[in-house]
Amino acid sequence: MKAFARPRLRSAVSAAIVALLSCAALSRAQSASPLSSASPAFREVTDEVGRTVRIPQPVRRIVSLAPSLTETIYALGLQDRLVGDTIYCDYPPDAQNKTKVGGAINPSLEQIVALHPDLVLVTKGLNRLETADALEGLGISSYSTVHPHTVEEIITSSKKLSDVLGVPEAGASVAREMQRRLADLQQRVGALAAKRVLFVVWTQPLISVGKDTFIADALRRAGAVSIVDSDQGWPQVSLEEVARLQPEFLVFAASHSESASPAVEVLATLPGWSIVDAVSNRRFAVISDAVNRPAPRIVSAIEDLAKQLHPDAFVEKPENGKEKIEKENPPLNERPAPHYSFSLDILQDHFTIPGGCPCAH
Amino acid sequence: MRALTLRRLLLQCSILVVILFVVVVIALKFGAVPVSLYALGRDLLRLILGQSSQISSDYGLIVMNIRLPRILLGIIVGASLAVAGTSFQALLRNPLADPYVLGVSMGASLGSILALIAEPHLSISPALAALLTPLGAFLGAGATIAAVYFLGRREGQIDSATLLLGGVIISSFLSAIIMFLMNTLSGNLRGLSFWLMGDLSTPLQKSAYWFLGIGFLLAAGAIYTTAADLNLLLSGEKEAMHLGVDVPRVRLVVYVAASLLTGLAVSVSGAIGYVGLIVPHAIRFIFGSDHRTLLPTAALGGAIALVFADTLARTIVAPTEVSVGAVTAVVGAPLFIYLLRRRLS
Amino acid sequence: MSVEQVSYAYSANPAQAPLFTLEATSFQAGPGEIVAILGPNASGKSTLLKLIAGALAPLSGRILLNGFVTHSLTPRTRAQRIAVVQQESPLLFPARAWEFVLQGRHSHRPSLRFESEDDVIIAKNALAQVGAADLSDRWMDQISGGEKQRVILARALAQQPLLLLLDEPTLHLDIAAQIGLLDALRRLAAENRYTVVVVTHELNLAAEYADQVVLMQRGRCLRVGPPVSIYQRELLEQVFQTPLSVELGSSGRPRVTVLSGT
Repeated sequence: MKAFARPRLRSAVSAAIVALLSCAALSRAQSASPLSSASPAFREVTDEVGRTVRIPQPVRRIVSLAPSLTETIYALGLQDRLVGDTIYCDYPPDAQNKTKVGGAINPSLEQIVALHPDLVLVTKGLNRLETADALEGLGISSYSTVHPHTVEEIITSSKKLSDVLGVPEAGASVAREMQRRLADLQQRVGALAAKRVLFVVWTQPLISVGKDTFIADALRRAGAVSIVDSDQGWPQVSLEEVARLQPEFLVFAASHSESASPAVEVLATLPGWSIVDAVSNRRFAVISDAVNRPAPRIVSAIEDLAKQLHPDAFVEKPENGKEKIEKENPPLNERPAPHYSFSLDILQDHFTIPGGCPCAH
Repeated sequence: MRALTLRRLLLQCSILVVILFVVVVIALKFGAVPVSLYALGRDLLRLILGQSSQISSDYGLIVMNIRLPRILLGIIVGASLAVAGTSFQALLRNPLADPYVLGVSMGASLGSILALIAEPHLSISPALAALLTPLGAFLGAGATIAAVYFLGRREGQIDSATLLLGGVIISSFLSAIIMFLMNTLSGNLRGLSFWLMGDLSTPLQKSAYWFLGIGFLLAAGAIYTTAADLNLLLSGEKEAMHLGVDVPRVRLVVYVAASLLTGLAVSVSGAIGYVGLIVPHAIRFIFGSDHRTLLPTAALGGAIALVFADTLARTIVAPTEVSVGAVTAVVGAPLFIYLLRRRLS
Repeated sequence: MSVEQVSYAYSANPAQAPLFTLEATSFQAGPGEIVAILGPNASGKSTLLKLIAGALAPLSGRILLNGFVTHSLTPRTRAQRIAVVQQESPLLFPARAWEFVLQGRHSHRPSLRFESEDDVIIAKNALAQVGAADLSDRWMDQISGGEKQRVILARALAQQPLLLLLDEPTLHLDIAAQIGLLDALRRLAAENRYTVVVVTHELNLAAEYADQVVLMQRGRCLRVGPPVSIYQRELLEQVFQTPLSVELGSSGRPRVTVLSGT
């Protein structure tokens, strides 16, 4: 028995030594120095959440962790500095060619670090606080915006972001353009009676938007008013209420208009829905899912909705203006959108109800 | 007829330690960013020797600062869940028991939701805010442990059947409250999906690792002192008492310690399933049911299983991640069926 | 071992009257003796056994073993002196017979130490003493009822007790196994100087093997004494509520025949 013990004992001891070494390495793990960018210049700004962020100057490499932030970067003309974004960043189409770092809730920290960003853009409306903290622990600065409640807040947020990124002129120009178009809309439809609409986020269960969201504000700008008056962000509405309130229009946001009309057809066949006039008379409006993203492109969706709800307010436009509108708002069925998505980027984490909801990502 | 000896225990543990080491090396090597084994070894050595400032390659730092802490978390959580699962299976005399059957994970979820709700209304430093969620989870777990204990008593002592019943009732009650809160609150309940399937990707503060490690050693150590008693408990409670086991004391120690282990694990990583259920059975299958070897080998087995599952979770569909709980379920369920059939045959 | 004026009461609700009482009972037994606690169902036999085992605390009186009050001992020290054989709960996880018997050594080991060579030898001897040495490597869920009973007895012997308590050990055994078990008990009591207390309702087995009989009915101890003094026809008929006849057998022990009644 003792002769057996020695070889076994030896291998056990060497295994123990190796194990000890890796334990030592593991226990030292936290004391390794974090990545530090050796840029000489820094600028301190306060982000929208109230944190003080040290941003290296100039900002050459940006990673965006939200589709709305990605769109804003393109709108500011900074797309060449965007080195990474999420898998949900699909507009403009070029954004799909950027290096993907994962989802918005759970991006791959390794992938972000490997891209050596100067700044990571996050938003409290979509990303987790832990992600920003983790990046900070690794020596990477992150600037966080908050979830806007009005379209005006989207504009000011974009302007502030442009300033942070070092292109205030571009930001001012984008803001001016947005203001101009919104003022134009106000002129056209401001005096008209607002159409009462139901903005449909999801049909089963029936989910709409609360009165405090920027989508509700966008509806107002388009000459509409949401019949849902709720403090929650994504209230679940009862069909009875809808039938009682009888909206004049249903509004859907879809990346492809042709995928929305079959949905309405399905709704018309469902028992209960047919008592809603807007369903039985097929009065619905479809706008692009830009309305779901707090980015400059939302103005196009607002204009589109206004045109569908108040067509008379747009007929007597002079020729060059009409061309301009058509150039900026190509007809829906020409937009390159391969799939039918009901505002996935915002829904992905709100609807994580145990038991499985079709909206979970 | 071979009795258990210390030498056999050490041998079994050594085998598992070697396997754990191999899995750790694999986990270090693979990820969203490729790392060569040579660079890995060189950087590890530098880290041990205290020359971490010389780790120049950024990939090396990725490994040290992102992967290594994540692996460490996987080891502690995996070991905690496996020991807790083994203990509950013995305590409740039920081979289907897992660490969450007594409601601890639901209590922790509710605790962290309440912490998230309260956070905007509290004016605290950002450092404390980061700790708020795990702290809330741990407090929620503690409250649940106490509640189930008081529900699970009969004639002043813990009774296994009553305990199980109390745990299941509280678990579903808390689950209903959680669903109600998630449904009616529009607040920032971001990322709470991580509770449903578990998540090891959130880096923790350094102090948290110490807390977890020491907590694990204390709780697992306390359970280990009752290891021989647990063997006898499985023969039956009356029999165990007549053979010299102080049954009420053993039940109390095991209940509290195993629940604490579960609470710790769940507070930092959500409810990762199947590890606490399957690893004890797999280890029993290989090494036998004597708790004096089962407890340490199950701990090592849990660490191996979870680190391996987490590595799969973060590499299969890189750069996105599958949740680690999905991987443990997909691998664990068929494995369980296999073990069950082998045992029946 | 001496049982001194031990009484007990059990009530489901403290406010209500007790559901069951055991009135003051006394008897004594020495090493090498077999005592049978005899009586019909619900006569309090098992309760008395549990009191002797230290599993229940008596309402009054005490039970002494070599001068120690059994109930005030810790479970560990109690298990070193008293071994109990009773109907087993089913095993959760498979175990071999020798592992099972080795559990009897638990109370003699410090809690974190593994079993020593001595413990293994004691376990092996215990199996041999009950004639089950060949079962040592078999799985517990694969042996017959009688074989299992012998292994359970071996585990009790491995505890090296002073007092051996058995609760209805012959319940599920066939005649041959019953005789075999009681023969073994008589031999073990004599060789190892155990005090053996057996709870049973088997009249003839008790008569044949017991040195002393404690006759119980509805929580009362009616009489204590050697079988010849207990096995009186009127007394037994009153206790067991059935006509029977008592005669003296060839071994000098009473034998009871149940008369098919009118």
